[in-house]
Amino acid sequence: MDPGPQVVTYLFGNEALPITDTLIWAWVVCIVIIIGARLATREMKLVPEGLQNFAELTVELIYEQIEAMMPGEGRRMLPFIATIFLFIGLSNLVGFIPGVVNPTADINTTLGLGLGVFLVSHYEGMKKHGILGYLKGFGEPVIILFPLNVVGELAKPISHSFRLFGNMVGGGIIIMLIYSAAPWVLPVPLHAWFDLFVGAVQALIFGMIAIAYIAVCRD
Amino acid sequence: MVEFSPEVIDTIISAAALLGAGFAMIAGIGPGVGQGYAAGKAVEGVARQPEARGNIITTMLLGQAVAESTGIYSLVIAIVLIFTIAT
Repeated sequence: MDPGPQVVTYLFGNEALPITDTLIWAWVVCIVIIIGARLATREMKLVPEGLQNFAELTVELIYEQIEAMMPGEGRRMLPFIATIFLFIGLSNLVGFIPGVVNPTADINTTLGLGLGVFLVSHYEGMKKHGILGYLKGFGEPVIILFPLNVVGELAKPISHSFRLFGNMVGGGIIIMLIYSAAPWVLPVPLHAWFDLFVGAVQALIFGMIAIAYIAVCRD
Repeated sequence: MVEFSPEVIDTIISAAALLGAGFAMIAGIGPGVGQGYAAGKAVEGVARQPEARGNIITTMLLGQAVAESTGIYSLVIAIVLIFTIAT
């Protein structure tokens, strides 16, 4: 019994480059998002209908969340934050299909996203205050607390990514245990809870906390 | 000094790891209490101001997610103990 990502094949037959099932499903999610975005924006109308309507609703919702935390920065931060929202949202929801592994139930995926948010937030902070002015912010309120602030800053991407990873893996393990004990009716409500509700809430939370981290670094 | 065979040592390590996983999950108490408290306060807020329902629920979910971190850490530790050490 191994709940972790399974190695499916090796890139170029090289043992050092394993390709796991979570990675393959992450590619599938990316392709679905790209094709969906192309379809939604193919024939744009002034009065949206169908897929374009849904796409505009999603983008506007994310835009408003960014504007609420970082006024005036919504247009610039939208591509990064919306990518996080859409990729994690769809990655969490695909687990609803039996046999599909959540790409987010893999620490490599979530830690990658968490490190991306970490780099972007500090880049934004340095851009706003200048490198020296930004580093001085770590010495607040007294200079003795500098190492403590640095450690606290380094803990952010870890807690950020482990939260998503733990939620998805925990749900996956519980569903796997139920499948081995009672493979019929019982897993259905658990799938609905862990994949649809927890998945949607965790995607929202990951995105909101990413916005909050960037907003804090810009202060 | 008693000499143990490797099998016995492996069994002891497995048993200790499984026990440790169980103990680690005691941390689940904290997020449970914290999230329940946040939800209760959110209910109070909604009862006082029903028109602010959407904002209150979003803030509650964010706070609960942050409160959940400690529970998730213990869960990760328990998973590591069970699936990488105890096998």
